[in-house]
Amino acid sequence: MSYWWIRAFYGTVGAVLFSFLLVFLLRAAFGFEPLWDGAVYGAVAGLLGGIGFLWGIGCFDFWLGWAKGADISHEDHSFHGVSNWKQYFRLNTDHKVIGIQYLAMTFFFMLWGGLMALLIRTELAAPGQQIADGETYNGFLSMHATLMIFVFAVPVFGGIANYVLPIMLGAKDMAFPRLNALSFWFLPVAGFMFLASMFTGMFSSAWTAYPPLASQGTMGQTLFELGVQFAGASSIATAINFLATIITMRAPGMTIWRMPILGWATGVTSVLVVFATPFIAGSQFLTMFDRIMGTNFFVPDQGGDVIMYQHIFWFYSHPAVYIMLLPGFGIISEVIATFARKPLFGYRAMAFSMVAIAVLGFGVWAHHMFVSGMASWLRVPMMITTIIIAVPTGVKMWSWLATLWQGKIHIKTPMLWALGFLFTFLMGGLSGVFLGVVPVDIQVSDTYFVTAHLHYVLYGGSVYTVFAGIYYWFPKMTGKMLSERLGHWHFWLTFVGTQLTFLPMHWQGLQGMPRRVSDYDPRFETVNSIETVGSYMLGVATIIFFYNIVVSWKSGAKAPWNPWRGKTLEWMVSSPPPLFNFDAVPQVVGGPYQYGIPDARHAVVFAPEEFGGELKEDTRFPVLVVANETLTSQALIDEVRSRNADGLWSFELVAPVGDDDREVVQRRLATTLAILAGHGVAATGRVAEGDVVDVATEAARESDPNEIVVATLPLSQSRWMQRDVVDRIRKAATAPIAHVVVPADDARAIGGASALPMVMVVATEAIGAEGLATVVRTRADAQPARFTVVAPLDLPEPRWGADANERRRAAGEAMTATVNALVSTGVAVEGQVMDDAPSVALPLAIGAYAPSRIIIAGINGEARALAEAAEAAAGDTPVETVNLGQIAGA
Amino acid sequence: MATTAPHVGGATGQPEQKKHMNPALISMLLFIGSELMLFASLFTAYFFIRYGVANETWPPLKADGQPFQLPVLMTLVNTIFLVTSSFTLWWGEKRLAAGDNKGLIRGLWVTIILGGAFLLIQLNEYAHLGFTPQDRAFSGAFYTLTGFHGAHVLVGLIVLGLCLRRAYMRDFSPSYHTPLTAGSYYWHFVDIVWVLLFILVYLV
Repeated sequence: MSYWWIRAFYGTVGAVLFSFLLVFLLRAAFGFEPLWDGAVYGAVAGLLGGIGFLWGIGCFDFWLGWAKGADISHEDHSFHGVSNWKQYFRLNTDHKVIGIQYLAMTFFFMLWGGLMALLIRTELAAPGQQIADGETYNGFLSMHATLMIFVFAVPVFGGIANYVLPIMLGAKDMAFPRLNALSFWFLPVAGFMFLASMFTGMFSSAWTAYPPLASQGTMGQTLFELGVQFAGASSIATAINFLATIITMRAPGMTIWRMPILGWATGVTSVLVVFATPFIAGSQFLTMFDRIMGTNFFVPDQGGDVIMYQHIFWFYSHPAVYIMLLPGFGIISEVIATFARKPLFGYRAMAFSMVAIAVLGFGVWAHHMFVSGMASWLRVPMMITTIIIAVPTGVKMWSWLATLWQGKIHIKTPMLWALGFLFTFLMGGLSGVFLGVVPVDIQVSDTYFVTAHLHYVLYGGSVYTVFAGIYYWFPKMTGKMLSERLGHWHFWLTFVGTQLTFLPMHWQGLQGMPRRVSDYDPRFETVNSIETVGSYMLGVATIIFFYNIVVSWKSGAKAPWNPWRGKTLEWMVSSPPPLFNFDAVPQVVGGPYQYGIPDARHAVVFAPEEFGGELKEDTRFPVLVVANETLTSQALIDEVRSRNADGLWSFELVAPVGDDDREVVQRRLATTLAILAGHGVAATGRVAEGDVVDVATEAARESDPNEIVVATLPLSQSRWMQRDVVDRIRKAATAPIAHVVVPADDARAIGGASALPMVMVVATEAIGAEGLATVVRTRADAQPARFTVVAPLDLPEPRWGADANERRRAAGEAMTATVNALVSTGVAVEGQVMDDAPSVALPLAIGAYAPSRIIIAGINGEARALAEAAEAAAGDTPVETVNLGQIAGA
Repeated sequence: MATTAPHVGGATGQPEQKKHMNPALISMLLFIGSELMLFASLFTAYFFIRYGVANETWPPLKADGQPFQLPVLMTLVNTIFLVTSSFTLWWGEKRLAAGDNKGLIRGLWVTIILGGAFLLIQLNEYAHLGFTPQDRAFSGAFYTLTGFHGAHVLVGLIVLGLCLRRAYMRDFSPSYHTPLTAGSYYWHFVDIVWVLLFILVYLV
C-alpha cells in the first residue's frame, strides 16, 4: 500500500467516526429521541466518509496549502504524468492519465452493470422464478441502470474527451488540472457507494427513484442518493473545466469554426451538465430529507406533491440523455470524416444542430410523465417540442450520410462502430418519435417498447460511440495498435447481440409486457429466451473486447503517431504524446477536416524533428519491405498491392545482400519495382550490403516507417528464419512488423508479371549457345521485362521420326537449361519449343504472346533468315537482330 | 472570430497566444450558474407545494392548525445587512484597485461581520419560529431553502476569510486579485439569491 492509500483509508475511517460523533453530540445536545437512528448516522457518515477519502487520496492538498498560507508553487508538477502503471492508482493531474483513469474506472463499473444485465436476462429467460425473487430482481435492475447511467454512460465521455480534447485544441493540459483530478476521484466514491448498497439492502426504486417508493427504502437508498450527489459533483466540475478549457485554451488560430466537432460536442454537453445536473442534486436532497429528516415534500396529506419529484428529476434526466449522446455524436463525426477521407459534411450545421438539441432538450422533460397525472395542458406542448428535436437530430444523421456519400471508405474497426451507430441509433430515434406522440405513449408507457427504445438509443448513442472512440484513439493513448481481427469479432458479436436482444422488445411492448417486472405471461417465453441468448452474446463480445485491450496494450504492434491519417492536432504528436503534449504552441491555419483537399493544412506544429516534418494530405508514409529471394514472388507483391489500396503509403524495398550474387539481387529488385510501378504502386528500392537485421534496423531508423514487411521462405527453407531474423528485427526496430511467408515455388516465379512488357526472343541454333543468356540478361538489366524464348524447329519429315524426336529433345533440354540459368539470376523468362518452320511458327507465336519487342538471336546466316520471317509476321512490333556468331567471334 | 492570414514561419518561432478571458472567473460564473439551478430546483419544489395548497389560505396552516408566521420585519433588517455587505465588499475591491491594501482589509472585515451577523440572526430566527422542518411540506421547503442559502453564506464567509488572510499577506495587488474577484462574485450571488428568496418566500 502506498502512502496515499494508507492516508485515504485513515481519512475515510476517521471521517466516518467523526461523523458518528458529530451526529451523536448534536442529537444529544438538541434532545432528539432516539439517540440512535441508523438512517441519519449512515447518511452523514456516507457524505463525510466520501470527503475524507478524497482528502486522503490528496485531492485537496494544494488548496488546503493555499488556505493555510503555505508557500505553494503553481508550477509544481510533481503529480503530473506517470512512469509506471502503478502510478495510475494515485492522484494525478495529467489530463492524459486522468483520461485513462476515467476510462478504466467507468469500464469497471460497466462490467458490474453488465453483470446485472445478464442476471436480469437470466431471470427472464423463462416465466416464473429462476434465480431471484421480485425484490432482488428489482435490486438488479436498479443497480444495472444506476451503474450504467451515472458511472458509465455519463462520465465515460469525460474520459475520452479528457484525453483527446486538450490535445485537439492544442493545449498542454486542461484549464484546471487539480480540479480535473478531483472530478475523477469523485467517481469511484459514487460508484462504490452504489456497489456497497448491495451489502446494506439494495435500493429497488430503479435509477429514477420515484417517491414514495424511494422514501421507504433502506440504507441502500441513502447510498444511492449520496452516490448521485458525488457523481453529479464530478460531472459539474468536469464540465466547468471543459468549458474553461474550450473558451480559453485553444491554440492560436483555432477559431471556434476551426475547432474539431468533438470540441463543440463537449462544450455543448458541458453547458447541459452545468445547468441541468443541479436539478437531480435537488431532487435527491429532497427525497433524502423526507427519508431521514422526516420532512413532507412527498407526503400528499401533509401538503407534499409526488409529481413535483418527477418534474425536478426529469428536468435533469431528459437533458442527461443528451449528455450521454452529444459527445458520442462528436466522436462519430471525427471517425466518419477520417475513414471516409472527406471533409465533414455541413460542419456548421453539425455544430448548430447540437446547440439546438441542447436548447430544445430543456423543454421536453414532461414527455416522460404523460401518464403520471401531471397537469394535462402540458402534454401537447411537450409532445411538439419532443418531435421537433427529431429535426436537428435528422440534420446530423443526414450530414453523416452525406459525409459517407462518395467517400473513400476504409472499413477499420472504429468505422464499423460508427456505421453500427448510424443504424442502431436511427432505430432508437425512430421509436423515440413514436413515443413522443401522446396517444402512442399512453398505450405503451412502462412496457418493453420503452425498454427497446432506450436501449437502442443508449446502445447506439453511447456504447457504440464509446467503442468507436476507444478503437480510434487507443493507438494514441497507449502507443499500441488494437487487433483488427478481434475488433471485428467484438463489433459483429455486439451488433448481432444488440439486435437480437432489443429488437423483439418492440413487439413485446406493443403486446403489453410491462417492464421492471420479474415474471411474465408464458406466451412471451420464446421471445424472452431469444433475448437472453442475445444478451449472452453481448457478454461474450465484452470479454473479447477486454482481452483485446489487455493483450494489445501488453504486446500489440507499436502504433505510429498517425495510424488513421487524421488531420486534427492529436495526430501531430507522438503516440502516446509527450508529457505536456506540445513542445511549442501549435499554430492552427485551417479547418480540421480538409481531407482530400490538396495543400490544405489544419495546423503547423513547431517541432518538426519530433514527428518527421510537415504533413500534407497527399503525403504518403513509408512502409519498409525487406526481402531477397522472395522479392519477385506473387505473395509479396500481393501484400504490397493490398496495402497500396489504402492510398496512404509509399514503399521502400530493401534487399540485403550477404554472400549472394549482388547482380542477381539487383535484377530481382528491378523486376519487382517495374511490376509494382506497372500496378501503380509508388515504390523505391535499393540493395544494401550487410546482415539483414542490421540493414533493416538501419533502414527503419532512416525512414521511420509506419510498418516493416519482411518476406521470407517457409521456416524450413529460409536462411533468414533459421537465424530468427523476423523476431530480431521486431526487437531492434520501432515499427510494427508483418511477416510474409512465401512458398518456395512462388519465390522462383515472377508474381504479377502481366504488368511487365513482354519481350519475345526467337532462337533456334542459338538456344544452347553461351551468348543467349547474356543477351537476355543485358536486355533485362536495361529494362525490366518478362521474356519468352521461342524456338521454332524446322524439323525433318516425318516429324514423328527418330531424327525429329532427337532434335526436339535436344532443343527442349537446351531450352530448359537456358531458362533455368536465367531464372536463377532473377530474370522473368519462359521458354517454348515449337514444331514448325519459322515462317509458320512465328506468326502464331506473335499472335499468341503479343510481344512489345522481338529479339532475334541467331548465328550468322541463320539470324538473317529468322529475322526475315519475324519481320514478315511482326507488323509494327520492333524487331532487333543479334548475331551470336559475331559476339562469339568477337 | 478573426480569420486573418496566420503568421507561419518555423524560424521566427512561437506564435502569439491570444489573450483570453481569465479561466478562473469564467469557471466561477459557470459554477454560479450551476448553483443558481440548484436553487431553481428548490424553488420549483417550493412552488409546487405552494400551488398544491393554492385553494387554502396563505400562509398555510401548521399541523396544529395555526398559520405559519414568518418574522418579516426582522428578516427585512437582516436582508439590509446582507445587501450592505455586498456594497462594502465592492468598496474594498475598489480600494485595492487604487493600491490601498489597508482599505481592502477594512472592506473585507466589515463584509464578514455583516455576513456573520446575518447568519446568527437567521439561526436565532430558526430557534424562535415555532415550527420544525417536520411540520408540514411548507415548513420542509422553508427550512430547505433558507438552510441551503445559509450554508452558502457560510461557504462565502470562509472564502472571504481566506481572502482576508491573503490580504494580510499582501498577496493581492491592483494587477492580481483573481481569488478575491472570484470570491466576490460568489458573495454577490449569495446576496442576490437571498433577495429573491426574501421576496418569494417572505413577502409574496
